[in-house]
Amino acid sequence: MSVLASASPTFPVLPALILTPLFGALLVVLGPRRRPELLKLTAVLATVATGALSLWVLLAFDAGGEGFQFASRHAWIGELGISWLFGVDGISLFLIVLTGILFPIAILATDPGHDSRAYYAWMLVLEGGVMGVFASLDLVMFFLCFEIVLVPMYFLIGRWGHGNRTYAATKFFLYTMAGSALMLVGIVSLAFLHADATGGALTFDLVAIAEAQSIATETARWLFLAFALAFAVKVPIFPLHTWLPDAHTEAPTAGSVILAGVLLKLGTYGFLRFGLYLFPEATHHFAPVFLVLGVVGIVYGAVVATMQKDLKRLVAYSSVAHLGFIILGTFALNTEGIEGGLLQMVNHGISTGALFLLVGMIYERRRTRQIDELGGLQKSAPLLAGVFMVVMLSSIGLPGLNGFVGEFLVLVGTFNAHRWYAVVAAGGVVLAALYLLWAYQRVFHGPAEGDNADMPDLCLREGLVLAPLLALIVVLGVYPKPVIERMEPAVDALVEHIERHVDGFEEPTSRMGIDISPDGPLDGPADSEEGH
Amino acid sequence: MLGQYLPVVALLVLAALFAALSFVASRLLAPRRPHDRKLAPYECGIIPSRETPERFPVRFYLVAMIFIVFDIEIIFFYPWAVAHRGIGLFGLVAVLIFSVAVFESFVYLIGNGALEWGPIAEVRQAVSRRFGSEVVRPGVRQVGLEGRDAGNPTIEGGP
Amino acid sequence: MFAQAETVATPEVLWWALVPLLVLAGAAVLLLTVASLVRRLPEWLPAAWTIVAGLAVLVSVVPLWNEVQDDGARSFLAGAVGIDGSTLFVTALLAVAVVATALLSRAYLTREDLPGVELYVLLLLSAAGGVVMASANDLIVLFLGLELLSIAVYVMAALHLRRIQSQEAALKYFVLGAFASAFLLYGIALVYGATGATGLARIAGYLSTTILLEDGMLMAGFGLLLVGLGFKVAAVPFHAWAPDVYQGAPTPVVAWMAAGVKAAGFAALLRVFVLTFGSWSGEWQPAVWGLAILTVLGGSVVAVVQTDVKRMLAYSSIAHAGFLLVGVQAASDRGTAAVLTYLGVYTLLACGSFAVVTVVGGAGDDRHGIDAYRGLGARRPWLAGAFAVLLLGQAGVPFTAGFVAKFGVIAAATEGHSYALAGIAMVSAAVAAFVYLRILVALYMEDRHLEDDDEAGAVEVDPAPWGPRIVITVSVALVLVLGVVPGPLVDLAKDAVPVLVGG
Repeated sequence: MSVLASASPTFPVLPALILTPLFGALLVVLGPRRRPELLKLTAVLATVATGALSLWVLLAFDAGGEGFQFASRHAWIGELGISWLFGVDGISLFLIVLTGILFPIAILATDPGHDSRAYYAWMLVLEGGVMGVFASLDLVMFFLCFEIVLVPMYFLIGRWGHGNRTYAATKFFLYTMAGSALMLVGIVSLAFLHADATGGALTFDLVAIAEAQSIATETARWLFLAFALAFAVKVPIFPLHTWLPDAHTEAPTAGSVILAGVLLKLGTYGFLRFGLYLFPEATHHFAPVFLVLGVVGIVYGAVVATMQKDLKRLVAYSSVAHLGFIILGTFALNTEGIEGGLLQMVNHGISTGALFLLVGMIYERRRTRQIDELGGLQKSAPLLAGVFMVVMLSSIGLPGLNGFVGEFLVLVGTFNAHRWYAVVAAGGVVLAALYLLWAYQRVFHGPAEGDNADMPDLCLREGLVLAPLLALIVVLGVYPKPVIERMEPAVDALVEHIERHVDGFEEPTSRMGIDISPDGPLDGPADSEEGH
Repeated sequence: MLGQYLPVVALLVLAALFAALSFVASRLLAPRRPHDRKLAPYECGIIPSRETPERFPVRFYLVAMIFIVFDIEIIFFYPWAVAHRGIGLFGLVAVLIFSVAVFESFVYLIGNGALEWGPIAEVRQAVSRRFGSEVVRPGVRQVGLEGRDAGNPTIEGGP
Repeated sequence: MFAQAETVATPEVLWWALVPLLVLAGAAVLLLTVASLVRRLPEWLPAAWTIVAGLAVLVSVVPLWNEVQDDGARSFLAGAVGIDGSTLFVTALLAVAVVATALLSRAYLTREDLPGVELYVLLLLSAAGGVVMASANDLIVLFLGLELLSIAVYVMAALHLRRIQSQEAALKYFVLGAFASAFLLYGIALVYGATGATGLARIAGYLSTTILLEDGMLMAGFGLLLVGLGFKVAAVPFHAWAPDVYQGAPTPVVAWMAAGVKAAGFAALLRVFVLTFGSWSGEWQPAVWGLAILTVLGGSVVAVVQTDVKRMLAYSSIAHAGFLLVGVQAASDRGTAAVLTYLGVYTLLACGSFAVVTVVGGAGDDRHGIDAYRGLGARRPWLAGAFAVLLLGQAGVPFTAGFVAKFGVIAAATEGHSYALAGIAMVSAAVAAFVYLRILVALYMEDRHLEDDDEAGAVEVDPAPWGPRIVITVSVALVLVLGVVPGPLVDLAKDAVPVLVGG
């Protein structure tokens, strides 16, 4: 590990993370049209290579290190002070790894059915864009990657999706593009105001602008809102969420996995990196709004999910609820909450990604996602049912599985900061158990009739695809310490940054005496509750 | 400041007065003895033998336009001839460029048969040889009728 | 009676600085003469001649650019004509547009079986007019250039003799264009009345040194000039001609209108407003602000309900004019450079897009409904892919040149503290994106039902001739390359910010 760490500065690993999938996309485009299996192999190799690179970043990452690691900078438009500026800290590290892991799985899990060349090319472009978002430390670069992600996702939903795909794809594109329209104005205004205030040259360097905090309070609040709108659409936060169920439901399985696993995190990551860090005062000022919206999202998502007849739509609405937790944790503005939110991002990516894979597998066998038409699958496909149950329990937040750790930390953080929000949100956890268990019961229990009776079980390939996700679900649930350890310095620095720049703000710390430091008792309860 | 325009205004008023006065005077003073020849349209003193044709061949206009080309050329040549000593080489070059442009348009007109007279059938043939068989007559309100209705947008139905 | 004339001081002529203009006008005159005298001209000759002339202009711009960058801008012909970075930048853009239009026209004229020389001659003359506008240092010269440019385009619009829409487009364009010219001329007269000069440098000098007690006449002059130029660049509410004319005129001519005429119009706007009336920017900025908002919003919103691709692109070109006005409104060097960058990018996008439309239009030039594009992605993947890139570029998607262009004008607007304008422009860009998405949907996402009854539904598209193919390939390549490496274009545009010399 130390060898790798010392070697890292010489090899620009972050640009490589972005360029490897793009290079793979180029290979796929130039590849033979009539040999889809060859194209798939190329795509898998490219994503596996990217995944390996991301794991290498994880291993080489200096756990105790402050600030951004693996930083690299190249001028892009020198005249405007825009540069290719990349770096990783504890906040973005695990999202990069999550991206690296989910993409090969998504590509391996399903075949597009037609136009494979374009499909794999778009998937790889998508991966490059997502990596770019998580690694960029230049505001314009971030915006570029944030926006370019739309194009491949648009085509993936629109060309390989289900019934109402055109509508869903267009809605997705327009919502997100309209949301981020003002962010560009915000970014440019911020850079100009920063340059005016400091008298320096025009720069879009995130760290320089955030550390200087040179913007007047009132202006910063407006700018924050411009950013927040873009992120809120992407997350999506409650009133702006209507694109999500459509996009999720109509997207092909791999598209849903990536959409839920990674793309939604662009918004929550944006809040952390560009909301809290750039505009600490404005974040603090507007936090109550987002806390309310987060709680509303949790309850609303859960209630609506309960009423869904379509299994995939149910999972989609459960995402709205889970992302409400992440927003809640983020705007609790303390270490526990933010760490919980971060963990929840990763956990949601894993468990919801796996849920979408499973729903996709059921759909491939039964050609339906209507809960009414399914039933008793436990008998015909016990393995599938077992995996589904584990993943579902993780999504509910059962102690011992990964979902618990994140949700628990979020609730602790919120409780310390704003007690009543936490109380309401905890109700959301109960609702999650309700809709997921009920859905599980209707789909897998009961008598199996007709096609449900002889549905084939998981095949080897599907098992192999799901295995790493299951492993992560268990490992992160039992032993989250390494992850928290690496997040902690970055999150602490962020909270300190907020404390430093917001008058009269002090981190709402633990009043319950729960110690969540890596050496604390958190591992204990998790271990002991594994048997439940 | 506007005072300097007073003579112009006065002249305008005088001209208008004179015109009005002439009409009124002739109406009042002239003897009124109408007969056929006096009431007929004036055509250089000749009694018109038939109705004036409704259309002229377009070639007449072409000739008139070609004439205008030369007309304009003369308008520019004349002052140049007067001043050519004073403006020297610069003027010469300028007038050369100008006449090249003028003659070039003349060459184009001749080359396209603008001065070709003869049986109408032959001319028509020549035109269709050059511009293809059917040439439409211009009309208005043909463009934009189709495609202007806000019909079927691609997105249909709700979620 | 004829007195011996005194020797008059004749103005100095910098012949080298006039080379691009002379090449264009000379090529036009020569081509027309040869075509009139030689009975049977080889069919390829006029197009080849035009392309060579365009390339010659491009080549001749390079030494001039170096000269201007080293020794600064010049003015000559008694201060009536100037040469500076923006002149040459716009000249180069016009030359590119000429080459692209000529490449498209050759294929188009062959397909439509039309006689050809006039189109090329008028194209060259129109480009010469554009160059005159870009180098005008005097309002009268500007007007001359505008008329040369416009009258040639009126005739070009009518050149499809068998399409009645083409004739109608020309008539509409002519009537409204004449109207606009009248406004412009009246504006020039009023500005002359207020400042006592038509030379841009003199006007600028007068305006920056004199305090006018009554500026009503000057304001009216500003307004009328803005209206006249607004007509030319199709700014809302003076845009009414654009959709009809774009839809009716032959498609290669539309490419020229969108790329060339717009570039020349904005070159004039920059010279007159930002440069000459710069010291009075407080007075005209609000008007341009309103015009820009109306234009971006109007163009984007109305484009959404169109069903004819040519009309969609017409409205989107109006929206692009709005973005360019956002850059003009900034009234700063950054704004000017952003406008020039945008013009460069838009020239590529317009030429490429209308090249695709030319190909898809088919014999008769009337398959422009969105149905003609349905399922093109399956039948002609490369053509559809190229169109997709160009449309995404027009939408301003990152890593295409379109984003660089939009970013520039937004940056200029925010630098000038026009946050609302920048915000509205970006929002309407998102609205406009819907238009491009509709075409993309037709290209890629509605092919399944066609596969079943291929004979019945699908419109067959002929393979693209080499002319449009070259235009499409080059424009797509440049749109992508400039999207990733925009530095060179941005730097060029920055060096091309115009300056006023002489008086």
